[in-house]
Amino acid sequence: MTFRRFLIKRTAIAAILTLVAVSVIFATLRMLPSDPFSGLVASGALTPSQVEELRALYGLDEPIWVQYLKYIQNLFTFQFGLSLTQQRPVSEIIGPALLNTMVLLLPALITTAIVSSLAGMYAGWNRGSWFEQFSIITTTFFRATPIFVTGIFLLIIFSYGLGWFPAFGMRSSMANPEGLAATYLSVDFLKHYILPFTATVLFYSGDFLMLARNSVVERKGSEFLKLHRAKGLSEMEQLGRAGRNSLLPLVTYFALRTGMLFQGVITLEVVFAWPGIGRALVQAILNQDYPTVQAAVFIMALAVIVMNLTADIAYARLDPTVEAGDV
Amino acid sequence: MSGYALDAETAKDRLQSELSRARYTLRKVLEDNAAKIGFAIIVAFVFMGLFGPYLAPHHPIEHTMRADGSMMRLESPTTTAPMGTTSFGKDVLSQFLAGARPTLIVGVFGGIGTGVLGFLVGLTSGYFGGRVDEALMRLTDLTFALPFLPMALLILSFVTPNIWLITGVLVIFLWKMPARVIRSEVMTVKERTFVKSARARGAGHLRTMFLHVAPNVLGIGFLYTAYAFGWSIVAGASLAFLGFGDPTMTSWGRMLQQVYRSGAMRVAWWWVFPPAVGIAAVTTAVFLVGRAFEELVNPDLQTEQE
Repeated sequence: MTFRRFLIKRTAIAAILTLVAVSVIFATLRMLPSDPFSGLVASGALTPSQVEELRALYGLDEPIWVQYLKYIQNLFTFQFGLSLTQQRPVSEIIGPALLNTMVLLLPALITTAIVSSLAGMYAGWNRGSWFEQFSIITTTFFRATPIFVTGIFLLIIFSYGLGWFPAFGMRSSMANPEGLAATYLSVDFLKHYILPFTATVLFYSGDFLMLARNSVVERKGSEFLKLHRAKGLSEMEQLGRAGRNSLLPLVTYFALRTGMLFQGVITLEVVFAWPGIGRALVQAILNQDYPTVQAAVFIMALAVIVMNLTADIAYARLDPTVEAGDV
Repeated sequence: MSGYALDAETAKDRLQSELSRARYTLRKVLEDNAAKIGFAIIVAFVFMGLFGPYLAPHHPIEHTMRADGSMMRLESPTTTAPMGTTSFGKDVLSQFLAGARPTLIVGVFGGIGTGVLGFLVGLTSGYFGGRVDEALMRLTDLTFALPFLPMALLILSFVTPNIWLITGVLVIFLWKMPARVIRSEVMTVKERTFVKSARARGAGHLRTMFLHVAPNVLGIGFLYTAYAFGWSIVAGASLAFLGFGDPTMTSWGRMLQQVYRSGAMRVAWWWVFPPAVGIAAVTTAVFLVGRAFEELVNPDLQTEQE
């Protein structure tokens, strides 16, 4: 199979997968026994006819297949409609939340990818050293412990105990910044940023460290390194060669993780009251705000599918031994 | 010919040899110091999960601690309540002991469910290949694409969460992990000569799959069952922390949710630390043991010096 055909096949699969995923989301949401308006009748706030009008306004009175087609059409044109509970467009809710999540997680992911991969290569090269033992146990601890528990530990120590950092939100309640630069480039923001950033870095460090370590360990006995040793390269130079050969799994893993970034780290955002997409989604679920839930879950699913596709293609392109036929 | 269909006798025989191999592996794993500590923590946790509710001095929810006729609210540790009390006047020690059980249930059944389902899917997919493989792998792609926690929250928001349902939801989203790994292992094993010769001698698909291929990937299967045990505990605790846990049971995740909601986290360290340390210790222990085990089953890591 040529690379071109491989590309077409993978893209087609990704497209179908997206369609199936959004259909599952639609079906799940429609299985909900009630919509947010039925509660209003029960509480006597609205008459049944007023509720009917409301339902018509949101298109909830149409046959299910019409709703489904409209839903699909709107999603793929990124028209997410109006929030049921906040009376404003869903994109106005999702957009800023997504940005907040990205501002938090992307730098954290990049930092940990670089630092932990280097540490992991060093650990794998010095197999059996105290550094290897120590780094594995520490990162295993932070990888295994749920991220909100790590967050709680950080809060108790650095926020409540030592009083160094604020515990909640993205800015202090008095701050009212205008514009992006003022929002994300202030000392106040930085103070709120450090703890959730640290928790994220620690959480992701384990995977990169183990991947890097394992692939250096796997390459240590290989022929090409023997050659380099025979050539008289120093230890560090040899590690550099081995490390370069270990990059492929790390790059792939980074792509997959980036896709999952859009899901935010829900519990982390809740613990630190970070106004990101995960927290927005939890609130929308609690308020039964369908359009917001649909849009948020759709973006998350789409990101994973697109980044998986990117990883697959990158892998096939970068690694000459991957047979493109084996999909 | 009896030998070439799957019968009870051969199955028993195989099981016995697998068991002795398992004992040997466990000894090997426990030579690692980190794994030793991890194993001790797991044993203690299982003990607490089984007997904790009977050891608890008070009922975790119904009993209210009182001193001099008034409710003990947010008291730091004293002799009557060695781990202090919650803001609702409940004994933290009792909640901690009783809370191990739901955590253990979710871990054990989520882990085994994920391990078994993932193993069977991976085995089938890798062994048959072709269309079967294609269909099953697209299904795993789908569960990868649907974000786990959001979907789980959605499902649990319109049914009353109970512990079995939560465990079921976890299995639905976690089986894909072992399935993928087992599948790729099976694909290399089934090309080996002994599998081909078993087929050539007329062994059926079932016999070949379970007696010839499966034992060679069993190690990885166990490894992922152990990991799934850890993942289930993490996921169960996360759901409970977000308020989607079983409302009738006090789990460690739920304790954390209550202390967070009540706003007492600022002062009540005695209420936060027991469940937080409990969860962190158990999940870390699982992964430490798993890691030591992985060094044994992953042949690529065996390239010891020179």
